[in-house]
Amino acid sequence: MTQTPVPFDPEIEPALALVVQPDAPPFTPEAVPAMRKAMAALFPPAAEAVGDAPVDVVERTIPGPEGAPDLEVTVISPRWLDHPVPGLYNIHGGGMMVGHRNMDVPRLLALVLEHGVVAVNVEYRLAPEHPHPAPVEDCYAGLVWTAEHASELSIDPDRLVIMGGSAGGGLSAGVALLARDRGGPRLAGQLLLCPMIDDSNTTVSSHQYSGLGTWTREANLAGWRMLLGDAAGTGTASPYASPSRATDLSGLPPAFVEVGSAEPFRDEDTEYALRIWATGGQAELHVWSGAFHGFDMYAPDSELTRAALAARDSWLRRVFGT
Amino acid sequence: MTGVSYPPVPYDPELEPGLAMFLELVEGIPLRADTILANRAHFGTIVPPIEQVVGDRPVEVEHRAVPGPAGAPDVELTIVRPRGGVTGAPGIYSIHGGGMVLGNRFFGIDGLIEEVLRFGAVGVSVEYRLAPEHPAPAGVEDCYAGLVWFAANARELGVDPARILVTGASAGGGLSAGVALMARDRGGPALAGQMLLCPMIDDRNETVSTRQYDGLGAWDRNNNDTGWDALLGPLRGTDEVSPYAAPARATDLSGLPPAYIDVGAAEIFRDEATDYALRIWATGGQAELHVWAGGYHGFSGFSPQAEVSRAAAGTRLSWLRRILGVPSTP
Repeated sequence: MTQTPVPFDPEIEPALALVVQPDAPPFTPEAVPAMRKAMAALFPPAAEAVGDAPVDVVERTIPGPEGAPDLEVTVISPRWLDHPVPGLYNIHGGGMMVGHRNMDVPRLLALVLEHGVVAVNVEYRLAPEHPHPAPVEDCYAGLVWTAEHASELSIDPDRLVIMGGSAGGGLSAGVALLARDRGGPRLAGQLLLCPMIDDSNTTVSSHQYSGLGTWTREANLAGWRMLLGDAAGTGTASPYASPSRATDLSGLPPAFVEVGSAEPFRDEDTEYALRIWATGGQAELHVWSGAFHGFDMYAPDSELTRAALAARDSWLRRVFGT
Repeated sequence: MTGVSYPPVPYDPELEPGLAMFLELVEGIPLRADTILANRAHFGTIVPPIEQVVGDRPVEVEHRAVPGPAGAPDVELTIVRPRGGVTGAPGIYSIHGGGMVLGNRFFGIDGLIEEVLRFGAVGVSVEYRLAPEHPAPAGVEDCYAGLVWFAANARELGVDPARILVTGASAGGGLSAGVALMARDRGGPALAGQMLLCPMIDDRNETVSTRQYDGLGAWDRNNNDTGWDALLGPLRGTDEVSPYAAPARATDLSGLPPAYIDVGAAEIFRDEATDYALRIWATGGQAELHVWAGGYHGFSGFSPQAEVSRAAAGTRLSWLRRILGVPSTP
């Protein structure tokens, strides 16, 4: 099925050529280790990445899920913190198969400085070596630890927001469902940036970006295949892996859903917001005209990105009550 | 639908006072078929005269009668320009709201004046015939006739004909969407964009959000019934409804100008507006969609100081900068 794609915004389109390598190998289990290594080289450790910004960076090892290895987390706090502040619990992206938490340090640093909050950035196990439920259970364990150590971290436990981009947005939505269903930490919000939440790959937008853009249909199929194996796309996936599969979206923390109009996740993310609203739940939805997947990271100096960041900041102020 | 409950999305607490003011000021009399005229008279008293709205802002205001649709009366336009005139300016064609039954072209003109000054634009606000005295297609045909005149006289007004966009809120958003469809289908003016603010586009009144705000909030499901009944009469809800009257009825949403759609999460038009965006994207068309958490119908106008309203206003300006090709200010 070929579908006419929504075109890219002309201001950000040049960035696409820099990001998308025409000779990039497809995502396969064999290719993934080298991709991870190449990406890791692009992102320095947090202590280095924050430069001389007035923040404290602490790397910690915390307990993982029962019977599973420990987790690495990075805590970024405003310096001289003497009272509890809101917290951001962040999950990085990478299609469930690549990526590292250091990728998100610039985004988190900006939020820590803008909102005076403490960020906890979690590393989780990746597919295909660690298929579902390893990634989402790691992320959930990190959230539970963060909530239990809120006081020590100077986080106000009533103002803890989970966030992530792409796979990290999908995992954030999955962790929010887990927290609801297990009576876990009470979240003040879920900030879902172009979240990867639907393993079915049946929407119009999932077809419109076949072979096109920063995150293609093919990459997405590979990611879900690695996470779910033969269950991918069969309708049997757990909602904690593929939150679009959840039949009940009531009782969730307020959601912020952001996505580009020119990317595969547009329709599944819009649908997720529609289904939250239908239950009487709170969600804010922003679909940015002509924006490709990850536009804010790849085209930071653009009108679109400035507007998207302003909308995020506004929502965080409303959720944090600041 | 007995037995099915539709708990509403709650309002943003910061918006509650503005909502209360809206309900008291605008909706003191429930809008029903037999109260339309009383509501219209009341509505007229809350829209201030244009001179008062302009104040000492540096704009020139001109009222003009231009040819209406074939066989129909002239259409009144109010043209707002930066004092001293402009050339090659953006054109903003504005259609007021009021549920297809209320309001006049000075309702909401404060926002148009601000955009005229901010973008060095020429704004035009159109008076159109209201239902039920003038059912569809009178209103949308009036709006279209005014747009055709504006585009044809763009250069005389100092406007770049390639940078005319159509905008409106509520019924004005629905009429804007209808005019954009007409312009496409009739080979009319090429629009640079359509800005649809909490647009009223679906006569069926059957979405989840229309049921969540039944007897609740600003412009609730019952008011919406009144407006559509007045506009469409016995045709309402049938396959005879024109997409120019109820754009959600259009089967083809391809080939339209870029859309900006903005709506509250806590109002009846949330779902139809979101669905309209989804259907534009499915054709490969461009649309930007913003659904603001806890926003009631018209929240940004009646609670302008609230955080969410300021964010909504800023986001609209960003889209206008992108559509009008105005350099952005980092």
